[in-house]
Amino acid sequence: MSRSNWLKTTAMTAALAGAVFASGTAAAENFKVGYAGGFTGYLAPYDQPSLKGVQLAIDEINAAGGIGGTMPIELIVKDTRSDTAQAAVVAQELVDDGVSVMIVSCDVDPAVASGVIAQAAEIPSVSSCASTPTLPAAVGPYMFSNYTADNLQATVLASYAREQGLENAYVLLSRDTPYTEKLPEYFAEVFAAMGGNVVAVGEFTIGQQDFSAEVTNIKGLDPQPDVIMTAAYEPDFPAFLKQLRAAGITAQVLGSDGIDSPTTFGLGDVAEGVVFSNAGFPSEGSPLAAYEAAYEAKYGEPNDTVFTATGYDAMLVIAAAVEAAGSTDGAAIRDAWDNLENVQVATGTMTYKGQNRVPVRVVALNQVSGGERVHVGDFTPDPSQIPAP
Amino acid sequence: MSNEAALLSVEGLVVRYGAIEAVRGADLSVRQGEIVTLLGANGAGKSSILNAIMGLVPVAGGRVVLEGNDVGGEPPEKIVRRGMTLTPEGRRVFANLTVAENLSIGAATRRDRAEVEATRSDMLELFPILAERRDQLAGTLSGGEQQMLAIARSMMSQPKIVLLDEPSLGLAPQIVDTIFELIVRLRDRGATILLVEQNVELALEIADRGYVLASGAIALEGSARELSASGDVERAYMGAH
Amino acid sequence: MDVVVQQTVNALALGGTYALLALGLAMVFSVLGLINFAHGELMTVTGYAMYFVLTAGLPFEIAVLVGIVAAIATAMLMERVAFRPVRNAGTATMLLTSFAVSTILHMLFQNLISARPKALPVPDWMIGALNIAGFDIGVIQLMSISATALLLFALTVFLRRSTLGIAMRAASLDFPVTRLMGINANMVISTAFAISGLLAGVAGVLWLAQRGSVDPLMGFLPVLKAFIAVVLGGLGSLSGAVLGGFTLAFIEVALRAFLPDDWLPFRESIALALVILLLLVRPEGLLGRKEAIR
Ligand SMILES: Nc1ncnc2c1ncn2[C@@H]1O[C@H](COP(=O)(O)OP(=O)(O)O)[C@@H](O)[C@H]1O
Ligand SMILES: [Mg+2]
Repeated sequence: MSRSNWLKTTAMTAALAGAVFASGTAAAENFKVGYAGGFTGYLAPYDQPSLKGVQLAIDEINAAGGIGGTMPIELIVKDTRSDTAQAAVVAQELVDDGVSVMIVSCDVDPAVASGVIAQAAEIPSVSSCASTPTLPAAVGPYMFSNYTADNLQATVLASYAREQGLENAYVLLSRDTPYTEKLPEYFAEVFAAMGGNVVAVGEFTIGQQDFSAEVTNIKGLDPQPDVIMTAAYEPDFPAFLKQLRAAGITAQVLGSDGIDSPTTFGLGDVAEGVVFSNAGFPSEGSPLAAYEAAYEAKYGEPNDTVFTATGYDAMLVIAAAVEAAGSTDGAAIRDAWDNLENVQVATGTMTYKGQNRVPVRVVALNQVSGGERVHVGDFTPDPSQIPAP
Repeated sequence: MSNEAALLSVEGLVVRYGAIEAVRGADLSVRQGEIVTLLGANGAGKSSILNAIMGLVPVAGGRVVLEGNDVGGEPPEKIVRRGMTLTPEGRRVFANLTVAENLSIGAATRRDRAEVEATRSDMLELFPILAERRDQLAGTLSGGEQQMLAIARSMMSQPKIVLLDEPSLGLAPQIVDTIFELIVRLRDRGATILLVEQNVELALEIADRGYVLASGAIALEGSARELSASGDVERAYMGAH
Repeated sequence: MDVVVQQTVNALALGGTYALLALGLAMVFSVLGLINFAHGELMTVTGYAMYFVLTAGLPFEIAVLVGIVAAIATAMLMERVAFRPVRNAGTATMLLTSFAVSTILHMLFQNLISARPKALPVPDWMIGALNIAGFDIGVIQLMSISATALLLFALTVFLRRSTLGIAMRAASLDFPVTRLMGINANMVISTAFAISGLLAGVAGVLWLAQRGSVDPLMGFLPVLKAFIAVVLGGLGSLSGAVLGGFTLAFIEVALRAFLPDDWLPFRESIALALVILLLLVRPEGLLGRKEAIR
């Protein structure tokens, strides 16, 4: 007992020691940014990459003297261990450490838990990759979104499907997370509003591995769907896709940014032709291509997820807001942030002005072709088509 | 009372369960070819002594000497390989294994298949009912049959000495008689036996010598004849309560 | 009718992986009284071993072999390093130890390899399906059913015919008396872990072939399912674990296939309720013993 506890404690301490550090030197005029993320546990696949992007942005900003060339950024990182209660505890610690802005977790629940603490302290906070459009409203005027909102992505996917002449959709959702539930629901809403027919809505459980029952049901549908949309990601998306194709179903498959992962490109024939949305495509000469190069230079391995880039984006937006505010006062930063327009970030540009703290940003469509990523196009839908959150 | 000729001798054995001292310095010995019985009321510490000898419970004090080697603290599997085995209280046959499998596993320490087969036919001859029930699950046997199987299983390892823990427990009187006859026959074939019993009369009838245990200590010892003749055994029993 | 046959095939394939995992869990439980919650991490180890072999450019078949061997080795190592030192400290301590082992492995995977999933491409021939008499059987489904059948057969022969196998069954019934037969406790326990590693390795390969990637936390859900299967089948009963695995898969597939749309959101709760109902009718599990023989 004591032995195993000792092991556990040691391992945790080691892991935390690795995650908790400060970059930049602690001078009086440093700008303190706190990061309450799930760097261990189930959120690590999202929050760890986000952190890497944030650090890259800070390196670049500090190399140029800091925000506005004069104010270096000091990052204080605390691990929530992917626990919602801990997300609140850690946020309070960051407030006590005197941070001026807080970055919070990718998942809605811990993001809210940390966000309300920051809100109470009148410190602006931002979730680097939570995509639920209702998140800022749920917390209050000091909370901002950063990532492409679910309803925005769904609208782009549905418009694309209709433009391709696809008529009958099957939608597969999971009520386990807002992302896997709402994104397909927004898709179905827009697809129907644009004159398409939603044949059936199926459900799955995250991690269920076996989709044979759902696939057999799809085979029995009349009319057969010509497009199948889901926001499932690993491990569910590959398992679903394999079983779908094995059953001889050839309908166009649409996915969302959750499948933007090397796994999808390693699936071979079954993934051929799959179209998915994400936050940007690194075309030649684009800022995203430059970002990818900088990432590889710093970390010694190619970037394998867009979440590093959106973490980088979030940090650039923070710097832009502080610079526009000309102050480190929470209220001033908040107001400046709320009025940001066309901030140049890695994935394109971001605008907060008039958007209720959910930014407008570009949605890219990508197609899997021969195990490679092909750019279908960048889209910014007409706000009237985007379903209300 | 170290005895040079003893096959097994136990000296000053102490067994503790937490704060409870179940055995407080017991001495006993068994010589080659003897049936020695260890008597005592329920809870006197008889099973504790046997389990400690076999390494199933820790030896908290004293020595367990088998053929001149101190085996105290060795694990049961090692002690079995030294040639001593225990037929535990309550029989404890492997209920979901067949009779044949129970016997096979009793010979797990032996390599020579031909010799194992010889012992097996020997046992099936001694306990013919087991031959009839060969492929039956042990759990479906009657209590008496299970006791025979448990003893035969112990004998499959060809032990130099067998510890029998209350073989009469819960059996009908005629069955008990059969079992005791079989124990005598085992001794006649060269086995050495330490027999724990509550059935004083029967035990003293077949034993060469006996010990009476009361509250974890040896209260009385002597030849079986002396012990049955005197009324001391009953008195020692009473003293336990 | 055709749909029923098709869904039965589906349930058999899923039940196979559940059964393999549950059997491994039950194997260890039967000799040690421990539900090893780090069992799922053996699948993860298989996944990472395969990933490294494939990254080194070796063929898929080698990766499968190395993956399974890695799971067996890890299982035996777990027993030797983590569980043996606390074996006499009681089952609660061992259970906590298994949680600690699981957590430590998660952290090692996350911090030494990657928190993100690693792609595990499988050859194209594994992805197709055969159409037999009008029914689709995926190649992986077919592999799952045949691997399960093969392993269960081999394991049955081992447990019935070999002395060590009989000893393992005896140990599952009464461990101390098994030791009185001269059987080495460490040997039996180590073998149980090795077998559990083999079963987890094979189940892992099947699972990984479906999901196409390995990530640090992938073992959690399967071990939960296997645990439900083991309890359903009867704690300590090996055949019960297999039956529990198949029963759970049939319940899950039937609910997902035939539940009306309005009820779909409740399918997991209904599945668990059915399991609990079965346990209320048979508290000792489908094949569990009424009382421990001790
Ligand atoms: N495992 C155990 N834990 C605690 N106390 C025990 C244990 N086994 C036996 N005892 C106690 O030790 C004493 C002797 O028991 P035991 O050796 O079984 O006696 P006997 O076999 O003579 O009936 C009793 O008081 C009994 O309650
Ligand atoms: Mg007793």
